[in-house]
Amino acid sequence: MTDSKFDVVVIGGGSTGTAVARDCAMRGLRTLLLERDDIASATVGTCAGMISSGLKYRDEPDIMKMCSTEVVYWNHIARHIVMKNPILAPLLDLSDAASDSSYMESYSEHVEERDVPAMMFLTPDATLEIEPMLHPEIIASVYYEEYFIDPFRLCLLQALDARNHGAEIRTYCEVIDFEINDKQEIEGVIFYNRVFGTTERVTTKLVVNAAGPWAHKVAKSAKEELHIRLNKGAHVIFDRRIVNTGITVKAMDGRWVYLFPHENTTLLGTTALDTWEDPDTLVASFDEIEYLLQSMETVLPSIREARIIRTMTGVRPLVPDFKVPERNVTRGYRIVDHGENDGTKGLLSFLGGKLVTCRHMAEAVTDLVCEKLGKDIACTTHEKPLPGNEDDVDIIALSKEYDISLHALERMRARRGTEMLKVLEMTKEHPEWKTTICTCEPIIEAEIRLSIREEFPQTLNDLRRRLRLGTGPCQGTFCTYKAASILSEELGLAGDDFLVDILDFRAERWKGIRQSMRGEQLAQEELAQGMYACVGNLDQSDVDYDLKPWEEGH
Amino acid sequence: MDENEAFEYVKSTLKKEKITPYHSDELEIVKSIGACINCGLCINHCPVVASVGLDRFSGPRSIAVELSRSPPEFWATADKVYLCTGCGTCREVCPKNVNIPEIVNIVRANIFEHRPDLVPKGLMIVKEIIEEHNLAFEPWEDKEEKEESRDMRLERLGIPYIPDVVKENAEVLFYPGCQAEERAQEVREAAKAILDYFDVDYTLLDEFSCCSLPSHLMGDAKTARNLAHQLKGKVKKLGVKKVVTTCAGCTSNLADLSVRDEWGAPAYHLLEYLVEEIGFEKLADALKKVAKPNDVHVSVHDPCHLIRHTSRQVMEHALNILRLMPGVRVTESVEHDNCCGGGGMVSFHASEVANSVVQENMMALEKTGAERLVTPCPLCTAQIENNLFKSGSSIEVDDLTVFIAQRLPKKE
Ligand SMILES: Cc1cc2nc3c(=O)[nH]c(=O)nc-3n(C[C@H](O)[C@H](O)[C@H](O)COP(=O)(O)OP(=O)(O)OC[C@H]3O[C@@H](n4cnc5c(N)ncnc54)[C@H](O)[C@@H]3O)c2cc1C
Ligand code: SF4
Ligand code: SF4
Repeated sequence: MTDSKFDVVVIGGGSTGTAVARDCAMRGLRTLLLERDDIASATVGTCAGMISSGLKYRDEPDIMKMCSTEVVYWNHIARHIVMKNPILAPLLDLSDAASDSSYMESYSEHVEERDVPAMMFLTPDATLEIEPMLHPEIIASVYYEEYFIDPFRLCLLQALDARNHGAEIRTYCEVIDFEINDKQEIEGVIFYNRVFGTTERVTTKLVVNAAGPWAHKVAKSAKEELHIRLNKGAHVIFDRRIVNTGITVKAMDGRWVYLFPHENTTLLGTTALDTWEDPDTLVASFDEIEYLLQSMETVLPSIREARIIRTMTGVRPLVPDFKVPERNVTRGYRIVDHGENDGTKGLLSFLGGKLVTCRHMAEAVTDLVCEKLGKDIACTTHEKPLPGNEDDVDIIALSKEYDISLHALERMRARRGTEMLKVLEMTKEHPEWKTTICTCEPIIEAEIRLSIREEFPQTLNDLRRRLRLGTGPCQGTFCTYKAASILSEELGLAGDDFLVDILDFRAERWKGIRQSMRGEQLAQEELAQGMYACVGNLDQSDVDYDLKPWEEGH
Repeated sequence: MDENEAFEYVKSTLKKEKITPYHSDELEIVKSIGACINCGLCINHCPVVASVGLDRFSGPRSIAVELSRSPPEFWATADKVYLCTGCGTCREVCPKNVNIPEIVNIVRANIFEHRPDLVPKGLMIVKEIIEEHNLAFEPWEDKEEKEESRDMRLERLGIPYIPDVVKENAEVLFYPGCQAEERAQEVREAAKAILDYFDVDYTLLDEFSCCSLPSHLMGDAKTARNLAHQLKGKVKKLGVKKVVTTCAGCTSNLADLSVRDEWGAPAYHLLEYLVEEIGFEKLADALKKVAKPNDVHVSVHDPCHLIRHTSRQVMEHALNILRLMPGVRVTESVEHDNCCGGGGMVSFHASEVANSVVQENMMALEKTGAERLVTPCPLCTAQIENNLFKSGSSIEVDDLTVFIAQRLPKKE
């Protein structure tokens, strides 16, 4: 390790942690981010990516205001990974309409700054023309617009930008302990390097605990008690955009559920269940899937016929407001300064928050960090763009210049913006790297190589998060081996590591596929089975691989 | 904002986001695409992939798993989707019945609406012709010249001229299609001669208009729906019970439209009509009456729009009819059902692709030793004939309707 002394150590590489690392680095602090797994490997990777107007939080006008302002910033600093979804909330009876009026008003308060219209009513005919799959007996619909961001790329870009500003980003490094002196001040952080199997230590006086649903566990390593309300949420994912616009509807228990086009898929979500289980091994339950399908079925009767490819499940790290339903828990965040209450000095823990507010959270905690360090440096994270956002990209011209299909380039642009030029540059020397590796996304070989070289992935799952590898309808039936061989070549992996990584990747896909497997996805799984068991003989492989908790079999 | 203004606003946002809402009659197609398991079987059967390679045309699988997943990105498929000939081979071999040719049309419709600049120029020219004339081909300027050309053709082919009839409440509407109406007039006349020979109570359209397939294929969904609507009105007004055509593309399109738009009059290819309504017996009687016909050795080409978009049975009918003809020997080509390359409007903007697809057919055809190729579609006829001619082949091509008309005796 080059430098083992830091002004601040950030724990957690989710939306919060990467935003904090970016802000700290941009303000010139010597910053280290430690992530137990990969960037965006936990909660944030399971969220819908909605950078919402906050309309569900109409009882918290400050939060709504904050959300709105943040949306404006995202559109300024990360527009290449932001998209807009028109949304319909179809109404089946008048009581629905009455209960919606307060939403409509609060949503409409900040519409101008977000550059969207106020909520409006549409006739049944207009609604059905926009979305013919809707129930023919709807009496009206409410229309509104929300913005969405690619949560994986956002976290990665924040991490890369932090690195560009001098931060050190280390994945697969799990914080296991703190060094605390007699004065209850943090002096160092101890972590386990999962790649090399070694324990390491760095010196710092300040730690930002952005470990999401593990925040209390991290705090415990410093013998601090941190209360947190963990809340499970699941999504059902469809193979493509199955609706023309987003659809929201009140679920059977009065919560709102939604069906949102997301990149080239559609997300149906979400559930909210208080949970005490291990976030790492949680899967969507049958009840959650049914709850979502049945709720959406009330306005979209044919939803069950669409092709479900998988589920994904995450745990919200909510602030510890108990004795109220989940939806009444504030969506604001709290920064717990443990030193303030006779606890460990230098430890700051996050509770609550959202993806949309991660930049705001980072700004607040970095202000505090700077104050503790006696520095007065202004925040610029809302002004300076994230990598790739600098300019528009002319896909058509690039397609001609590099002889790569328009669509492959358009998808690349959605991930990288102007930074895609680096990938294209590589194909000049290696035209063979224009080969399509993942057919569903699609992804060409050059982008996989660039990602491996510049975006520090260690595994196929890391590549998936960076590139959407294996996230399409076939769920990695055909790209896994191809991508694994590129990864092995670039990282110099040995044969067994190669196989274990393939098994890990398949296991991770299976985690989401298994719960919802039905209909057309059964045929896909048969094919995948044929591919990996019958052709690849992976089930007979004798490599050292431990089955994951969600994998059955012996 | 009142509800109407609201709707207009929403439409403008959808336009900005490049979303054309799927129409309710398209939902089945979209659903079928969701069944693709990425098995890749279709790729090896796609005639365009076979002739120009995957780099140029990424093939049916990519259309299913990649290109058709997200409407706001449909514009970025413009370098690929216009190369699909819509032959339907992929759909036929697909274990999941994925409807690639139709999703291609939906994708093209999105591009047409949101990025007309990316629609191939050749198609825009056709669009303008259709807009002006309700026809897929520039009509003859001089009516007399058109008639002269017709008469010359009939004389050369030995087909009698039967004057046009237009009347209400006939049993059958004969619908020649744009190609036979304006270009291959001999096909139109041959069909009339056949219908007349068998005393079919038929009528023509008072004013011919395109069936809408070319507009549908180029993605001009609005014009397609207009033309379909127009034609329905004409069919209804004439009060016919059946619609008969000689064009393969018209057959499948009219059949689809007649169901979708509830015409109450089913559409047939003339071959189907001959077999199903006239019957083999009458046909055999007629064909045998010709004294001493010259021996001829033919091979057959199966138009995609008949075998894959309508029914393979139509070509069974064709072969059975040929078998009834004295002096006609048929040798099947191994590529009898390979696309001629002219479908999907490909020949209108990428003739090099269309012409490269038809090479397969031509090579196999040479091997049969046949001196003549017959096919029941004037468009396939033109595409194959042009390419054979350019390659210096001595094989001649006849539209099957013409071929049949030539072998009917004079009416008593
Ligand atoms: C189903 C669902 C849908 C959601 N939808 C939205 C939405 O649409 N919009 C929105 O704004 N918000 C949404 N949210 C909320 C949002 O996703 C989260 O609030 C936010 O992403 C949490 O980010 P985080 O960085 O705090 O946590 P995480 O993403 O969980 O990151 C915490 C990281 O800390 C790491 N870590 C843990 N322990 C250690 C350790 N000891 N050492 C090192 N690293 C450690 C973990 O590996 C993890 O990567 C949703 C949440 C869920 C569950
Ligand atoms: S319809 Fe024909 S040309 Fe088009 S993708 Fe399928 S097989 Fe290929
Ligand atoms: S379209 Fe059909 S044949 Fe082609 S890859 Fe998909 S499932 Fe296989």
